Amino acid sequence: MRRLGRWTRARVFLRSFLVQASWNYRTLIGSGFAFALVPAFREVFRGDDRAVDEAVRRHARLFNSHPYLSPVALGAVAVLEAEGEGAEVIERFKTALRGSLGTLGDRLIWAGWRPLCVLFALAVLLAGAAWWVGVLVFLALYNAGHIAVRVLGYQLGLREGLRIGEQIRSPGVMRVQRALPTLGSFLAGLLLPLVVAGPFVQGAALTEALGDRGRLPLVWLAAGAAGALVGLRFGARVRTPVVIALWIITLGGILAGMDGS
Amino acid sequence: MNWVALVLWGGWVGADTTSFAQVMISRPIVAATGAGLILGRPVEGLTVGVLLEIFALIILPIGAARYPEYGTAAVAACAGYVHAVTEGAPAAGALFLAVAFGLLWERVAGATVTALRRANERLVAGAAEQGAFTAGRLERLHLAALGADFARAALVVGVGSGAALLLLRFAGPVWAIGESATAGALAVAAATMLAGTQALFDGWAGRRVTFGLGLLCGLAILLSR
Repeated sequence: MRRLGRWTRARVFLRSFLVQASWNYRTLIGSGFAFALVPAFREVFRGDDRAVDEAVRRHARLFNSHPYLSPVALGAVAVLEAEGEGAEVIERFKTALRGSLGTLGDRLIWAGWRPLCVLFALAVLLAGAAWWVGVLVFLALYNAGHIAVRVLGYQLGLREGLRIGEQIRSPGVMRVQRALPTLGSFLAGLLLPLVVAGPFVQGAALTEALGDRGRLPLVWLAAGAAGALVGLRFGARVRTPVVIALWIITLGGILAGMDGS
Repeated sequence: MNWVALVLWGGWVGADTTSFAQVMISRPIVAATGAGLILGRPVEGLTVGVLLEIFALIILPIGAARYPEYGTAAVAACAGYVHAVTEGAPAAGALFLAVAFGLLWERVAGATVTALRRANERLVAGAAEQGAFTAGRLERLHLAALGADFARAALVVGVGSGAALLLLRFAGPVWAIGESATAGALAVAAATMLAGTQALFDGWAGRRVTFGLGLLCGLAILLSR
């Protein structure tokens, strides 16, 4: 069994941060996947440029994964290429893996960890922290999880190779997947009254516009509560109507002003 | 000098969304605050960023979905807001206009992302299918795509900042809605969107106990102030 050199493994990992640079609707992250694996191909097929180019062509086809979980597949495929596994086996393995890595990442990161970290940072800000504290808390917390997922995923891929499918469905991963929505919904509930009834940001212009205590009149608090009920009922579908309503108010506010002046 | 730094920041924000690293400087809360910091008014940047962030929370970049690009739009909206508003002055109207502009510009920015992805399709995926694809060529095309994304985002921020400034300079002085009503409308919109994020966490039915618990804690904090 052949093992890739440390520097080669590090370069593949660093390139994984660029895996989506040439994202396109035909091969999705396929070309980025091949790009990240080039250092591994150059080591495995040292001195044989044709074999390197052939491997690039094989891997530049359609592939998809959550970007943070792409190191799992990159590690596993790099090991399989180093071990001389057949092209058909590797292609079947990638096909089987891409659905799982996409779905898991979307749930774990995009719909879990990211909104959770944003809500936590908003809570810190609404609690009265300085502007830079809220932003730094978000970046530090989010990227601690982000980088950990990438590093651990890459190590897992390198270690497990073809057996990776069983590992990404482990009970630990499922527990995290269940915990994130619980914390997220708690923070969303916590923030709701603070956003409606309190100032958005300490010292900001809006606070001053609202008067000494930075609180809205009662009628707007009631409207905010009604809006929250609509949001709870319709979820993500509220976004477009709310945005359109803001645009209509914008037009109304400008036209009424022009008419009056 | 500030504008050059702002456009470069916008390029980085746009690249972070998809192409490079995704360390989330592209979130409105970071992107707009960064823009505010460049322009010397980070708190105003954060104010715009927080509101646009609440609208961005619900957007998920899943699979090949086309979605608005909120990061570069937040930078442009912040630039317009900071330049149009005197520091410390009541400015709910200008804030409303900046947020509405950001929510419009994110669609324009999203369309440029789609166009770039189409171009990548022809250049990179097309080259791969022609068969004469070498490792060196892939590396060059891939890095060129990264550069193109950076340039695209910088352009989106440059043009967007100018457009936001024009809108706020023109519409700010004629804004006819009172400060309190303007702030109220923003708060209602924010509350609706924030409650809508519950859909990310298995919906209202799935998490009503934890959501309710959070709500009680939020009310307790509010009443204790």
